[in-house]
Amino acid sequence: MIHSVVHIAQLSLQYAHHVVLDGLNWQIHRGEHWLIGGKSGSGKSALARALAGLEKTSGIVQLFFDNTSPLPPRALYVSNWYQFTNLEGDRNFYYQQRYNKQQKDDTLTVYAELAHYAKAKNLWLEEVEQYLALFDFADLKNTQLIELSSGEHKKLQLIKALWLKPQLLIIDEPYTGLDKSSRKMLNGYFDKLAAAGVHLVLITNDADLPGCINRFAEIEHGRLKQLDSVLDLSKDAGRVQKTLPLFLKEKPNVSAEVMVHMENIHVRYGDKVVLKDISWTIRAGEKWLLQGPNGSGKSTLLSLINGDHPQAYANHIHLFGQRRGSGESIWDIKERLGIISPEIHWYFDKTAKVWQAVASGFYDSIGLFRQPSYDKQQKVNQLLEFFDLTEYKDRVITTLPLGKQRLVLLARTIIKNPPLLILDEPCQGLDHDQTEHFNTVVDELCGFGKTLIYVGHYETHLPSCLEKKMILEKGEVKTIQDITELVY
Amino acid sequence: MANYFNTLPLREQLNQLSVAEFMDISEFADGVSALKGKKIVIVGCGAQGLNQGLNLRDSGLDVSYALRKEAIEQKRDSWKNATDNHFTVGTYEDLIPTADLVSNLTPDKQHSSVIDAVMPLMKMGATLSYSHGFNIVEEGKQIRKDITVIMIAPKCPGSEVRAEYLRGFGVPTLIAVHPENDPQGKGLAEAKAYCVGTGGHKAGVLRSSFVAEVKSDLMGEQTILCGLLQTGSILSFDKMIEKGIEPGYASKLVQYGVEVITEALKQGGITAMMDRLSNVAKIKAFEISEELKAIMRPLFQKHQDDIMSGDFSRTMMEDWANGDKKLLEWRAATGETAFEKTPAGDVKIREQEYFDHAVFMVSYIKAGVELAFETMVEAGIKPESAYYESLHETPLIANTIARKKLFEMNRVISDTAEYGCYLFDHACKPLLADFMKTVDTDIIGKDFNEGKDMAVDNQELIAVNEAIRTHPVEKVGTVLRTAMTAMKAIKTA
Repeated sequence: MIHSVVHIAQLSLQYAHHVVLDGLNWQIHRGEHWLIGGKSGSGKSALARALAGLEKTSGIVQLFFDNTSPLPPRALYVSNWYQFTNLEGDRNFYYQQRYNKQQKDDTLTVYAELAHYAKAKNLWLEEVEQYLALFDFADLKNTQLIELSSGEHKKLQLIKALWLKPQLLIIDEPYTGLDKSSRKMLNGYFDKLAAAGVHLVLITNDADLPGCINRFAEIEHGRLKQLDSVLDLSKDAGRVQKTLPLFLKEKPNVSAEVMVHMENIHVRYGDKVVLKDISWTIRAGEKWLLQGPNGSGKSTLLSLINGDHPQAYANHIHLFGQRRGSGESIWDIKERLGIISPEIHWYFDKTAKVWQAVASGFYDSIGLFRQPSYDKQQKVNQLLEFFDLTEYKDRVITTLPLGKQRLVLLARTIIKNPPLLILDEPCQGLDHDQTEHFNTVVDELCGFGKTLIYVGHYETHLPSCLEKKMILEKGEVKTIQDITELVY
Repeated sequence: MANYFNTLPLREQLNQLSVAEFMDISEFADGVSALKGKKIVIVGCGAQGLNQGLNLRDSGLDVSYALRKEAIEQKRDSWKNATDNHFTVGTYEDLIPTADLVSNLTPDKQHSSVIDAVMPLMKMGATLSYSHGFNIVEEGKQIRKDITVIMIAPKCPGSEVRAEYLRGFGVPTLIAVHPENDPQGKGLAEAKAYCVGTGGHKAGVLRSSFVAEVKSDLMGEQTILCGLLQTGSILSFDKMIEKGIEPGYASKLVQYGVEVITEALKQGGITAMMDRLSNVAKIKAFEISEELKAIMRPLFQKHQDDIMSGDFSRTMMEDWANGDKKLLEWRAATGETAFEKTPAGDVKIREQEYFDHAVFMVSYIKAGVELAFETMVEAGIKPESAYYESLHETPLIANTIARKKLFEMNRVISDTAEYGCYLFDHACKPLLADFMKTVDTDIIGKDFNEGKDMAVDNQELIAVNEAIRTHPVEKVGTVLRTAMTAMKAIKTA
């Protein structure tokens, strides 16, 4: 007799009037480890959540746990989006908050959070040390949650999951934002868990998987369709080549030959050094790749450029030819650059609609506070059309698949045709095809004299226009080199 | 020092009380230029001090902090706030003499001693700014005649001042110039520039006067509104316990209910709040609120009279001088109330349930907000000023209750507000004792609509709607809220 771990029959789920799952059947047997992939918006996350009992569904979902196993008889769902609250229980953060220092703690520390988790899940707090070590997280124990980078948040989610070792572990986009070494380690660890009796369900389109994954499926018309391998997953329809709207082909107004000039930058919080002795010059038109492991200081470095970091005033920084702190406002700076980052996405107004979100890019505001002129409205419409987003223009941004949400934020970033574009892990959470699509657009955009800073972990997932690279490690510059030469 | 307001002839009292001009954004076209290149020194680095300073610096202005020697030597929180954000910090002696504008953002209670220390050090012709006019109006502090005195009062907590600025918006703000201290006629230009620097100009600015700001703020935020919410919370909770509602549920219904209910108030005024009720419940709530208004009106009038005459501030300052005896006594008593001691239960309450199960709370908030507004306007305060200090403030205060109940509200707002709150609460509860005997769980604790056939009389409903919608607070509110439409909804747990 084959032992079942999961028995799902006739599972159906609707969001408003949209049918997501429609009479889906699925059996997970002992020893099986599943990958669920496929097109964005096909219902992968919904199925994962339903499996963990987090969705209101009709149909049968039965979990059979092994009572003889030492592992906790439960299913754990790890979301593709991390969440935390401040000490007063509200989630009303702004994304620059991690740079603004106030004397009271806004959020729990990593360690306090883990202590809560241990209590809630009946775990020994001492045991967490080994998992912290796995992810090189021990130094972050006393860091507040709000101070973590997006990659570090992902690691914290994974630490909790590995520590709990539930009999059924469901992880939605496990690799989002992870650097290369963490990813490799994680896959090795998944295999260990599988050997110890954990059943894995991974939701991803990534082909670089742990060896234990032995079942593959996607969702088609609300039902599960089993596949032979990860290579058989359906892909989103390729994008029809469209011409860039005319206003984005205009060479941006460049006021200075040197866009960014930093000399011996130091950033520290108390005793913790985040950036150390960094000098960096970015000339107009250059295309830079910025790399470094999670927590190496990339986002902090960029926040000095985009006007979000108060310590910029204490450092020697020239932006667009003007010394920082010489009477410019952060709005003067933001006007000349466009930025997207996982943090901006995470903190973005959850109630914003697509059209309004894009239009707010004209004013660098989170939320649209004035009526854009006719000319500006036309630009928003043209750009939405260019990104194939017109049909979503009245939708609330968070109801779109992640890939589409990123495109909306990219559109918001470039709507004013800024001379400097900062793309901090813009493809985090996107699959291979979506990433390629995104990077093609970046290449097109940057063909007209724009300056670019691009942050990405994976060499194979980068736009081709990049020509120089800086690598950070533990807050210091490790290398600066030309990368165009490598191509020849 | 004599109460400034009481030294004025009636004509001038009325004149200053009635300054209330809602400013168009075009009036801020000069941006921060009136303060560009000038040296701004902020005294105090608490929530308002730090966050206003961060905004001003990010707007391209030159900001530093003057702190008392002890605060620097002992590395107190104010010193850490300023240095961690890489501001220049120095003693009064170091920094004040260099300042073109000194911004006093210390707690109200310290104003007199701070001004005594700072004023002799200020250079000729400099500007002194406040975020609240108590010191000038109630304490009657005389400022050197060469100094310009202005006020920029953001109508939100400091953390919101920062958060809204970084979103590219701002918080509604009152600005004023003290007519006794504007020797060069630069006051208004500097107040506007400061307001732009904090982002306030994008969210609606009311030009007010020191007198109008103080008399309406003391009445609204500092007395009636906190007191109103405290009394309403305690009465609602006690009634539910008396009638056998589960304490955890009752505690949660009140703690988060005030926030959910007033969120509707914030977005669409009394009308929107009342429209959240079913027709039968709305008619009931209207009746109750009329009754409550009749009971409470004399108390509101007494508070307003005491504020106008200066009696309120005089007795409060006597308590300051007496080591806060009354304040501490009342604070301890509040900490001991059953509502404060009962944690919110781990029960799910749907958003609509907060209305349907708390018709009394809705009625009570309507009564309180309308009465506060009416009483202020009767006393000569303009509707625009009265709106900020009644309807606008109520959700902000309710938000603090949702965070950590009454203790948090009283801790966060200010010592003056805390004093006024207790004063009102102690007078209001006995006043409502008889009325409360008539209250049952249908209007607090359980669903008012349950078991009703929901039918109403057309004429009655039309009349009730008409009365709600044409109240003067709704008329002025509609105009002012359009300027603040972009204000973010306060998130609810």
